[in-house]
Amino acid sequence: MGKIHTKKLFVKALNKKFGKDFDLSGKTAAYERKGPTQNIRKVEFMEAAKKIAGKRGISGYNPYVHCGGVPLGQRQLVPYKLSTTEYVVEGDDLHFVNNPAMQQMWDDIRRTIVVGLDMAHEVLEKRLGKEVTPETINNYLEILNHAMPGAAVVQEHMVETHPALVDDCNVRIFTGDDDLADEIDDQYVIDINKLFPADQAEQIKAAMGKTTWQAIHIPTVVSRTCDGGTTSRWSAMQLSMTFIDAYNMCAGEAAVADLAFAAKHAAVIQMADMLPARRARGPNEPGGLSFGFLADMVQTSRTKAFDPTQVSLNVVAAGAMLYDQIWLGSYMSGGVGFTQYATAAYTNDVLDDFCYYGVDYAVDKYGDMCAAPVDLATAKDIATEATLYGIEQYEAFPTVLEDHFGGSQRASVLAAASGISSAVATGNSQIGLAGWYCSMLVHKDAWGRLGFFGYDLQDQCGPTNVFSYQGDEGSPTELRGANYPNYAMNVGHQGEYAGISSAAHAARQDAYACNPLIKVCFANPALPFTWDDIRKGFGMGGAREFRAAGERSLVMPAL
Amino acid sequence: MAYKPQYYPGTTSVGKNRRKHMSGDLEKLRDISDADVVTVMGHRAPGADYPSTHPPLKEMGEPDCPIRQLVEPTPGAAAGDRIRYSQFADSMYNAPSVPYWRSYWGAINCRGADPGTLSGRQIIEARERDIEQYTKVQMDSEMTDVSLSSMRGCTVHGHSLRLAEDGTMFDMLARTEMGSDGKVSYVKDQVGIPLDKKVNVGKPMSEAEVAKRTTIFRHDNVAFGGAQGARKFDEGLIALHHMWERRSRWGFRPE
Repeated sequence: MGKIHTKKLFVKALNKKFGKDFDLSGKTAAYERKGPTQNIRKVEFMEAAKKIAGKRGISGYNPYVHCGGVPLGQRQLVPYKLSTTEYVVEGDDLHFVNNPAMQQMWDDIRRTIVVGLDMAHEVLEKRLGKEVTPETINNYLEILNHAMPGAAVVQEHMVETHPALVDDCNVRIFTGDDDLADEIDDQYVIDINKLFPADQAEQIKAAMGKTTWQAIHIPTVVSRTCDGGTTSRWSAMQLSMTFIDAYNMCAGEAAVADLAFAAKHAAVIQMADMLPARRARGPNEPGGLSFGFLADMVQTSRTKAFDPTQVSLNVVAAGAMLYDQIWLGSYMSGGVGFTQYATAAYTNDVLDDFCYYGVDYAVDKYGDMCAAPVDLATAKDIATEATLYGIEQYEAFPTVLEDHFGGSQRASVLAAASGISSAVATGNSQIGLAGWYCSMLVHKDAWGRLGFFGYDLQDQCGPTNVFSYQGDEGSPTELRGANYPNYAMNVGHQGEYAGISSAAHAARQDAYACNPLIKVCFANPALPFTWDDIRKGFGMGGAREFRAAGERSLVMPAL
Repeated sequence: MAYKPQYYPGTTSVGKNRRKHMSGDLEKLRDISDADVVTVMGHRAPGADYPSTHPPLKEMGEPDCPIRQLVEPTPGAAAGDRIRYSQFADSMYNAPSVPYWRSYWGAINCRGADPGTLSGRQIIEARERDIEQYTKVQMDSEMTDVSLSSMRGCTVHGHSLRLAEDGTMFDMLARTEMGSDGKVSYVKDQVGIPLDKKVNVGKPMSEAEVAKRTTIFRHDNVAFGGAQGARKFDEGLIALHHMWERRSRWGFRPE
């Protein structure tokens, strides 16, 4: 018999919402139908709308037109606790429009590019016969951190950007060569040895060899005004100009083209691939971001390496927000419903509880993380147990069921717990994916309902592609992404798949899931978003404690 | 020997009820008048002509087509009716039906029907006079308990919420109300437009009755997987595992 898990992490969140003495197992409620005025955020919205309507001369927000004159708020409008944190915010605070931290998370990805430095150094040394030393690299980085935000080098009478508008822009380098890292000014280095646990640092350096890379974050305001495809172009222009300045090159000589080609193409790692015409977006847009890359961007793996479940849950949160709320919810669809789907995965400690249960069950039964056989039987065992446990919690705690009032929310949470637990148990993300699909089918047959049909479709045919690596049929989970053929449409899946990718590697104590360069790049302490604790960041944003980059008020009249 | 569909495995009451729904072998529990069904659906006034989207098929001069000769049109298709819908929400607290089983019932038993399945609601679309018949079957039969199931075209929120104090499923638009006589009436049609007169659909089942008739597995009634720490899988779950494993192993390799 398996160990009985008694944590019930979500009870604390429920107590915060309903009061400590509330009967959490009660199946009936008094519906007081208090309308929008029961909620501070709706009241704030209505007051703001009144002022705006007067000023602009056209009506706007009015929850009393909601549905035939019956306004929102016929049930209790309950707040949300960001999982693991103490932040409790209103649902509205988790819409990305109202949450600057969520925006910054996405901005930090879109404005980032990783560019190799070795190819450029070879051009300088072999083609031009110039000397490259730690001193020249330091000089180059000083010039680059002047130029990258949009300041001029080499050319006279150029316009420049206001430094206070672009203060989030910076370039640091990282290298697997400890000797070189020691020679570079500390301010310009992402220090792998300091930022990562020793075993992870060794793994990363071994994977990188002696190569050297630039973590480039162009100004948030630039990528918000343009798009993700801008990032490589903006950075390449400033890189090329900086080489000209730092290495006293001729501005027109042909070797500059080599440097530009390296900066734009040959030595570049985009955060996300371009999409085909029918979903046309450039590189560095969310639809092309692989699950493995997202798993590597999240930094909980280095700050809480001892807790693979926590690592995975933070990746899920990042993915649920980015893929569901921003990509599918806005780029691909538009509106507000997607936020509701996504929040289930990172609020009220429900998914946390289900995941820890599944992992506890697996460790108890198989002896340790990564100790279970890597086969379908393991996925079936763990996913079935995690799903049945979750279903039982929804049934035993009606307010949890009420929190996740849509089937797609419950399906995401139950399947994510199953997938993450299976991946942690085996150290294999494909088994995690198999667990995900097993959960979906168990859930559907137990309750006779799952999500909406378009949602279910993906999960009812999904088992067929888990173990196929052929093009257009499958891929390792880490290399799949939001535009993987069977995943391109449906909310409530992609962030969780990223979490499953992460779970397998976090359990194995891998330093990264897919690409060590992405992992190190996002360890840059100068990034505004809280990459080591995603849910905390979202909570700060919701609580209006987060200061995002891309500020414009400096150059506008005061409100 | 003629083929006899098995529909769904298992010896539990849930398994048996699921088989009943799928086979269409449903017990009739009440008789809502045709006019009342039409009123709650809200597409046309009772007694009004059916709006049409094309002339009756007999007047259209259809092409010589073997499929048309094989398939007899439904009455609604023959008359040229427009396509309309009815949509039901079923509470997770032991409502007799669940979305997938409403869909299976519709797909297996209703000609010319297009079922759509979601977590909190289930819609069937068909020619107007056909969907009226299909809706009446649902409202009259054991598929429906009047406090835990209701016709909701929009704003369906409620299937997963705690029940109201009178035992009815929450409805943001308050389309039904419980009378002092313990009977439930529709006071709005399925999209929430107030009705001129209430439509009485009768008394709800008792808690014991819905627990007996439901098609949802719940650990506090009929469990799908036994109890935590002492798992015992229902035959439906074992069959499901089999299907999942076959799909996983052979999905792209049908050998």
